[in-house]
Amino acid sequence: MSSLSARLLISVSVLLMFFFGVTIVVLDTAFRSAGEQAQADILDGHLMAILAAAEPTDRGTLEMPPDMHEPRFGNIGSGLYAELRDDAGARVWRSRSALGIEIPVAEQSELGVRQFRNETLADGTPLLTLSLAVQWEFPDGELRPFVFKVTESLDSFNAQLAQFRRQLFGWFAAVALIMLLSISGLLRRLLRPLRQIENEISEVEEGKRASLSVEFPTELTGVARNMNVLIDSERARSDRYRVTLDNLAHSLKTPLAAMRALLTQARKETFVDRFNVQIDRMDEIVRYQLRKPAASPVNNLVRTLIPVKKEVERLVEGLSKVYHDKEPTIETVIDEGMQFRGDSGDFLEIAGNLLDNACKWCERRVRMTVRRSSDEESAGGMILVVSDDGPGIPEEAAEALLQRGTRLDESTPGHGIGLAVVKELAESYGGQLEITQSDLGGAEFRVTIPSSETGSGSARRVR
Amino acid sequence: MRLLVIEDDATLRESLAAKLAESGFAVEQAGDGREGLYFALEYPIDLAIVDLGLPEMSGLDIIREVRSQGKDYPILILTARDRWEDKVDGLDAGADDYVVKPFHVEEVTARVNALLRRSGGWASSLLIAGPVSLDMSRQELKVNESAIELTSFEYKIIEYLMIRAGQVISKTELTERLYDQDFERDSNVIEVFIGRLRKKMDPENVIKPIETLRGRGYRFALERGQSG
Repeated sequence: MSSLSARLLISVSVLLMFFFGVTIVVLDTAFRSAGEQAQADILDGHLMAILAAAEPTDRGTLEMPPDMHEPRFGNIGSGLYAELRDDAGARVWRSRSALGIEIPVAEQSELGVRQFRNETLADGTPLLTLSLAVQWEFPDGELRPFVFKVTESLDSFNAQLAQFRRQLFGWFAAVALIMLLSISGLLRRLLRPLRQIENEISEVEEGKRASLSVEFPTELTGVARNMNVLIDSERARSDRYRVTLDNLAHSLKTPLAAMRALLTQARKETFVDRFNVQIDRMDEIVRYQLRKPAASPVNNLVRTLIPVKKEVERLVEGLSKVYHDKEPTIETVIDEGMQFRGDSGDFLEIAGNLLDNACKWCERRVRMTVRRSSDEESAGGMILVVSDDGPGIPEEAAEALLQRGTRLDESTPGHGIGLAVVKELAESYGGQLEITQSDLGGAEFRVTIPSSETGSGSARRVR
Repeated sequence: MRLLVIEDDATLRESLAAKLAESGFAVEQAGDGREGLYFALEYPIDLAIVDLGLPEMSGLDIIREVRSQGKDYPILILTARDRWEDKVDGLDAGADDYVVKPFHVEEVTARVNALLRRSGGWASSLLIAGPVSLDMSRQELKVNESAIELTSFEYKIIEYLMIRAGQVISKTELTERLYDQDFERDSNVIEVFIGRLRKKMDPENVIKPIETLRGRGYRFALERGQSG
């Protein structure tokens, strides 16, 4: 468990269990000893009453009245018993309640000393026994020892104790549960801003929002603000980069175009051709090098969600203008709601180069499909397929074509560079470009892009 | 045909204009966005060539403004940025085609010709109307398969009329679009040229390719496509 709330909850429950455990033990011990003390006092009272009720007889023994001060002595099996034995251990008297019950006989020690003992009846009933050995002085002046014994079943006491414990545990469990629930509720409330900031960051990464909101508790506003500064500067940097490159491209290519235009006025044919070759080389270098940064790994923070259908429609509309005379039938099949997560220009670059190629080489038909990938490995990713009914590309040529800057046909400029750019872009998104045979008869270009190189959902981290 | 070239690089603009003029176009030049937009809106233009990276006002804004003012002549973009984003933006704004720098001037001429005949509704650079055929790439006019010798101005007129076959073209429009400079607009000159064209194309006066509509102008009257 790495989440803050789980950690806190676990620590709090361990602490709670410890404190509650100690409290339970203390309370239980106190209740028990208080109960036992009360029990002993009651037994002592009964013993005193019996002693007071005993009457010496002429036969040198003691006699008890038929009705005792406590009615429970009169009820058989009431749980409160008394008996009286003489010096030899022979029973002189027992209460009516003890009829049929064999109260264990124990060694009696010193005279006049109260002795408490825990004993057990034959049927296993626990007993608390108080016995007292006394010297009874008879009217004839003789002293005879007797042992008085009062005993009470502990069943009801134990039942009370058990009841107490049940209640104790019940209440503590209830209190612990309520505490844990309220703590986790509290945590949820306290940690909500953190969760929100996490959600917002992943929304920024997914391109669903431009920056973090600023309604955070004081402790987090700083973090959110810094995060926004980072996002903004990242965006600004990437914009600045693009503007710089555009300016560079413009300022390099315009003179090249001017040179080429001037050459048309030149006289010497051989020079013109040689110059044009050099201009071509420079142009190619500029184009390739200036487009390359666009194909460098894209920062998560500047990605946005590009609506695929709309972009493809713009492209197709533009291309139908450019290929007005050829009038290729461009068929597009695009999954509903399909979105591309990345730099805004990158999707157009991939789709534009492939569609342009297909329009250039096709006889009449071009087909583009964009769908979500369904196989497990790249689930949620994008598969973009462009096929045409043109001459197609032989397998060995396809390999060479994928090498940067290689051109299959020098007379169709830009063919090779366009594909190399598509390939590099696809790879920068963790995907790939494949060239195969199309069922339309021509070439088929397939770009596969996984959903995100950094994984998906909440597991994504800011890099 | 009057073309407008908006390009801030003087060398490129001038040599492109020179080359286009050589191909028989009347060419206006503008060196920045504001000037370009003024020409584009106020001058009789058949096609504009617009550089996207311009000072004062971007090429994209010019195209949008021109289109929003209801001008529908073809627009060709010159761009140094060959990212598709820029091309699509340009085409979206209302341009009809693009050429990426550094281009071959011949490529621009070819695109311009294609756009012009496309704007007249022709699908190929060989315009055929009955016995008359005009090959725009070779600047060659044939009637009943025999080539006809034309002066460059005669060619300009028949090309203009044929591209807009079926439409009535006023004398003023012909003067505006075909003269390179603001010559004194003497409509008699046009009449003379039309007369010569008729004589060269149709000495027997049977085909009657050019119709005169009194007070309104001229019309290339033959049906498009191969006859019978």
